[in-house]
Amino acid sequence: MKNAVVITGIGLVSPIKPFMGVDIFWDALCSGEDAIKRAAPPVLDMDRKWLMAGIDMSGSQAGLQSGCPEDKLQSLAEEALNRAMMDANLEGNLTIGLTIGTVLGNILLKEKRLIRNKGGNITGETEMESLSYINSFLKAKYGLKGPGISVSTACASGTDAIGIASRKIIAGRSDIMIAGGVDVLSDFAVIGFHSLQALTEKKVQPFDKNRSGLALGEGAAFIVLEAEEKAVKRGARIYGKVLGYASRADAHHLTGPHREGRGLTDAINQAMFQANLKPHEIDYINAHGTGTVYNDMMETKAIKASFGDVAYNIPISSTKSMLGHSIGAAGVIEAICCLLSIKTKVIHPTINFEERDPECDLDYVPNKARQEEVKIAMSLSAGFGGQNSAIIFGKS
Amino acid sequence: MNPVAVTGMVKINSKDMDSIISNLNEHIREMRFIHDLEKLAIVGVGLLLSDADIHFPVGSTDISLYIGIDNAIEGIKDEYFNSVITYGILGSSPLLFPFTSPNALTARISIAFDIRGESITIPVKYSCDDVIEYAIECITGRYSRMAIAGGIMSSGLRNKGLRAEFSLLEDMKRAKERVACVYQHIDAMDNPNNRE
Repeated sequence: MKNAVVITGIGLVSPIKPFMGVDIFWDALCSGEDAIKRAAPPVLDMDRKWLMAGIDMSGSQAGLQSGCPEDKLQSLAEEALNRAMMDANLEGNLTIGLTIGTVLGNILLKEKRLIRNKGGNITGETEMESLSYINSFLKAKYGLKGPGISVSTACASGTDAIGIASRKIIAGRSDIMIAGGVDVLSDFAVIGFHSLQALTEKKVQPFDKNRSGLALGEGAAFIVLEAEEKAVKRGARIYGKVLGYASRADAHHLTGPHREGRGLTDAINQAMFQANLKPHEIDYINAHGTGTVYNDMMETKAIKASFGDVAYNIPISSTKSMLGHSIGAAGVIEAICCLLSIKTKVIHPTINFEERDPECDLDYVPNKARQEEVKIAMSLSAGFGGQNSAIIFGKS
Repeated sequence: MNPVAVTGMVKINSKDMDSIISNLNEHIREMRFIHDLEKLAIVGVGLLLSDADIHFPVGSTDISLYIGIDNAIEGIKDEYFNSVITYGILGSSPLLFPFTSPNALTARISIAFDIRGESITIPVKYSCDDVIEYAIECITGRYSRMAIAGGIMSSGLRNKGLRAEFSLLEDMKRAKERVACVYQHIDAMDNPNNRE
């Protein structure tokens, strides 16, 4: 007998209405609020500015008590984790595990150390710079005794963290798993993506003919997953169910996606197989939708390859037009958007959509949210290294 | 329920790399590497596939990758950002930037051997036990048919190079079908998904 996995708590901190709760975040996202602004990276003193979506920490409860920017990762993660745990009303003696997706970890701490040591010895990283640190820290602080797994699969990290957590529950490793993602804006990421010419100088326009790149963002998001039987027994509120999940490699290129979306097609097909679903049963797709030329083209091709003609009838939207790309957090934020679409029967828009691209000819919910019943939603993630992940959520 | 079979094992140290690579097939010998970690990962998996008698390029989703890495990756990040500090934003290498993310090593393995199954990179502290455990769960849960599981570690090896350890895991029934040499079998943990 297979354990069904349900979601009983959500918490996030994103660049839109960061500390005002999920409902206010969702209303703002559905009204098309744009958090992307021109700004300088946080640490290095540079004249140059890029488009990015940052979070002002002044409203944080977990808080940046010290005012040091290198505490931001920890503060964001704690804030979102607290909110998810409170939302799930976790009480009693439960075995809880934690999976966290992060690509850069506490990169601001590293930047500060290297700047201090300019021209000198570059060894001597601290424990806090380690990618596994945030998981160990939160597990110890919150007394989470279940499995602890850090995941670093580029921009698919958050989605994979949820997938791994759901499999841990299915395997009977933990009563409850909390899955999340976190990354912060950093000089490191901005300069790296700039050097790869992936950042836009205009605006983020996923699937638009004139799309010119992505904008980086930041954030943290967590969801609480548990076996359905136990969640029902403790009277937990249920947002939805994990129906299927798969990861697939492009095996093609270190930074560019496979042009035909081979890996993403495989991931979608495998997740659909696991969920035992037919194409017409998917009501909504939350796309990776970065706004880069190649991602959006390959994503469209992958959706068409998996869904055939049905692809034209499925609403697809991208949060990154409003929130930027929060790297490790993106997959979890987008999973939460799927769950909120199921709950509220509203699909958020893809903003800045101006001109249709003949190669991206699906329904991208342009510029205006849509009222529509969503019983089953899929979230897609893709990343450097040919990472591809698909996860499917259904109404409980 | 079938146990999980270990049908390939490899353990190498970066200090032995040159002698090992000269014995590998042409496909690997001719590769160009950006970083020693990448070389170690690819040579390690090349040896593993040979040991498990699996031909490459694989060209299918049958094999998945579950790769752990400790702080060995942090040195690449340091090198990258120090270039930015010293030479400005154009002083950083776009070739090196992707390697600042640990999944670049898993990606290079997938590209080098055309392995298209699951691709999961797990940052670890001291050991890859969690990685192996998850890979076993993926096989017993039937999410993956075969798995390359293991990792690359620098911990406790200061001035002794880096070490890579990989195992090839597969369902015992499948291993028997392809007449693989089984080093060890692991009784799959009690996975409710697999109860007959």
